[in-house]
Amino acid sequence: MIPFPRYLKLSALLASGLILCAHGAETPQHIDVKQLSKKVEDVVVPLPNEVFGALNKLGSINWKEYVRSDKGSNFTERPRIALLLGTVIADGFIAVQAEDAPAVKEIGQRVQTLARGIGVERSITQHAKAITEAADKRKWENVRQELDRTQNSVQQAMNEVHDEKLSQLVSLGGWLRGTEVLTAVVTKHFSTEGAELLHQPDLLVYFQTRLQAMPEFDLAIIRDIRGALVEVKPLIDVGRAHISSESVKKINDITTRLDNGIVTRE
Amino acid sequence: MRAFVKALLRGSFSIAILLALRLTVFASVDDAQSFALQAAEPYIKEGFQVREDYWGGDLGSGEKKAVRQQLFKGNEYWFWMGTEVERARISVHIYDSEGKLAEQPDGWEKGHFAAAHIIPKSTGSYFIIVNIEESPEERTHWALVYGFR
Repeated sequence: MIPFPRYLKLSALLASGLILCAHGAETPQHIDVKQLSKKVEDVVVPLPNEVFGALNKLGSINWKEYVRSDKGSNFTERPRIALLLGTVIADGFIAVQAEDAPAVKEIGQRVQTLARGIGVERSITQHAKAITEAADKRKWENVRQELDRTQNSVQQAMNEVHDEKLSQLVSLGGWLRGTEVLTAVVTKHFSTEGAELLHQPDLLVYFQTRLQAMPEFDLAIIRDIRGALVEVKPLIDVGRAHISSESVKKINDITTRLDNGIVTRE
Repeated sequence: MRAFVKALLRGSFSIAILLALRLTVFASVDDAQSFALQAAEPYIKEGFQVREDYWGGDLGSGEKKAVRQQLFKGNEYWFWMGTEVERARISVHIYDSEGKLAEQPDGWEKGHFAAAHIIPKSTGSYFIIVNIEESPEERTHWALVYGFR
């Protein structure tokens, strides 16, 4: 005979199991995407380490080759600083992949300097400190979390003062640098699985739409990026087909050119 | 002059009410986010990195919302939804770009929380559908966070 408290526990387990099954059964197996698309929220831009993590699972990568921690140019134009900030945060994720503590710390300081340039330094001071501390202790997961918090805090601070467009440029800078490194790795060791990670057509459209809404940022680099995204779109928007090694190489050439434009003074 | 002062006062009062309402909305979405993060907490120990960024808003009872997210094959994702409303029943499900249910069968719904799990079969855009199944409130705040490993 089952003791009463145990009987109660079993009943509760059974009931919750039934509830879970019931929800599973109610869940439609298909939805009409066309009907939904009108209500769809904006795409959330993945962090560079999301794609790096997936790439890592395809084989070992010498991340040290891609680490960059030089101070680079200083800019006064806020859109340029925002793009560079996104790029430098992406460099932080690369340095974490390489487990390069000195580079991580230098990048942390660079992020702080750039944030100062657009008046959002206060929002990230504690994160910059946490990045340095975690890098010293080689706690790489903590560094990743703090880099994410840094980007989020910078963007929130921008949004609070209605600088949403600058916030979008931070995401764009990070995405471009992430794509540059992704394509460099896949070009070196081509695989269809690696190339598939470039299948991001909605993200590309998202950035195109955002850039179209920034006519006030009449800078050469912004114009270059606009043009480049038009070139990249057919290379990654291939439906069910595979992305070829030639396309990967082409995207790497384009994103490397753009990255040079972002980090160096014209 | 008196009429002008009255109109000004009335206007300021309306703005103050609107601002207060706006602050309440933000506070409640923040509360919903706290619940979503609470649901995510046990998964952090399993190696999931929870993103700082999140989606949020308010929906009526029976209303759904779709958010679109780029997912990468090779990663594993959990989406956690939260609400601060007591006795609300919420759900979250994941569909691929063609509208086919793409989640693992171990998603769950309990009280203030709901969660959905996916190991993407291909890299691309997915639809995350959040639903306020039932709620005692006219509008129910919700927040959605996600993590990956």
